Amino acid sequence: MNDKINTALFVACQQCDALFDKPRLKQGQLAKCNRCGSTLIERKVDSIERSFNWSLAGLILMLPAILLPLMGVTLAGQFHQASLFDCILVLIDRGFYMIACLVFLFAIAVPIVRLSGALYISYYFKFNRLKPSLLNFFRAYHHLDHWAMLNVFMLGIVVSMYKLLDDTELSVNLGLLAFIFWLICSTMSAAALDQDYIWDKLEKAFGEKEEQDEHS
Amino acid sequence: MSTAKELGLALCPKCHKLNNLTAEPQQCSRCHGMYYQRKRNSLQYTLAWNLAALLAFIPANLYPIMIVYQLGIGDEATILSGIGEFIDHGLYPIAIIIFTASIIVPLVKIIGLFVLVYKAHTGIRLKPDKHSKIYHILEFLGPWSMLDVFVVALMVTVVELGFVTSVAAGPAINYFTITVIFTMFAANSFDPRLLWDKKVATQEPLESDKMSDSLPNSLPDSSLGKKGYK
Repeated sequence: MNDKINTALFVACQQCDALFDKPRLKQGQLAKCNRCGSTLIERKVDSIERSFNWSLAGLILMLPAILLPLMGVTLAGQFHQASLFDCILVLIDRGFYMIACLVFLFAIAVPIVRLSGALYISYYFKFNRLKPSLLNFFRAYHHLDHWAMLNVFMLGIVVSMYKLLDDTELSVNLGLLAFIFWLICSTMSAAALDQDYIWDKLEKAFGEKEEQDEHS
Repeated sequence: MSTAKELGLALCPKCHKLNNLTAEPQQCSRCHGMYYQRKRNSLQYTLAWNLAALLAFIPANLYPIMIVYQLGIGDEATILSGIGEFIDHGLYPIAIIIFTASIIVPLVKIIGLFVLVYKAHTGIRLKPDKHSKIYHILEFLGPWSMLDVFVVALMVTVVELGFVTSVAAGPAINYFTITVIFTMFAANSFDPRLLWDKKVATQEPLESDKMSDSLPNSLPDSSLGKKGYK
């Protein structure tokens, strides 16, 4: 077993563990594994600027999306409308704590944390103020990768609108528009963030000390 | 083709940095996180979460998921009877969406993960390229079964007109969310690299012949991965 392999020259596929030379990519190029076909490394175009702008827009749209009513119902002369925030209050009020928890986590908390995380990281990269705590922060950021479900919630809104359309008068409010834009912003900011680039930069900034320790 | 494991390297699951494996758990030199070369006890965890999800899926289908009160009279509906109502009203696209999201997807996920665990453990008729694609599809499908939960949550909130009409969530909704979350945990704890490891281990003579043809030197030199990029 060779312990002196320079690990900086190689990449391994995350899905099948095949080993390749590290490719030098320009912006917009991506390298694929030729054993299983999954993406090895991707350099995204203008990653920091784009994720900064999208996440900033997402955080601004967050308030109207949560607080403005999504849709209203008129039945037998009575009118009632609800926003995403009302949704949680009503669910807690009527004792469905588990659904209230889930809606809060997957449709409000996780998207907000992910948006502000992306904003935080891209802010420090944009103005070149790297600091060691970003290493831990970005590692923690990856834990939330699977748990944002805004797109599922959007489909849920569409389905329940169909359901209500059948026997009530339905009105769509401004909140739905804001919600759609919020969904687009959070998806785009997650897609624009270039993980490999950020890790490479962080390693160059803070990894030297470790390497010197190893060599000595 | 050589793998990182054969050369004593390990890939950090968080920051995708290759490290020389010196101890398990290994500390990543870039992000300082601790990790194992393969996910630990991956197959056991997947099997356990999967069984739990399957058990929770039974009451999720038997109990009512939504109770509609009209003028004080409650009308209970399970997942399947709710779909039947849509078909009665002629709303076929919605019926198909709900049926796919809340019955087909969880079942396919549970059965698919059972099959993957079985194949990765025994190596019988294992096709890693095909099976890792199946795993990706299963992983992608995971959150979409939360659809029914969100629909019920929205119905409860929006249709709240006091005595005239109101909607309450039934006990099945809790079991259903448990099913969905457990299948997501199961998919997350499965390690697709085990499929490739098993394939290499079961086909050792064949694979080593191929490797000696394509790789004259055992050291990873620059000729190794040129074909890999597109």
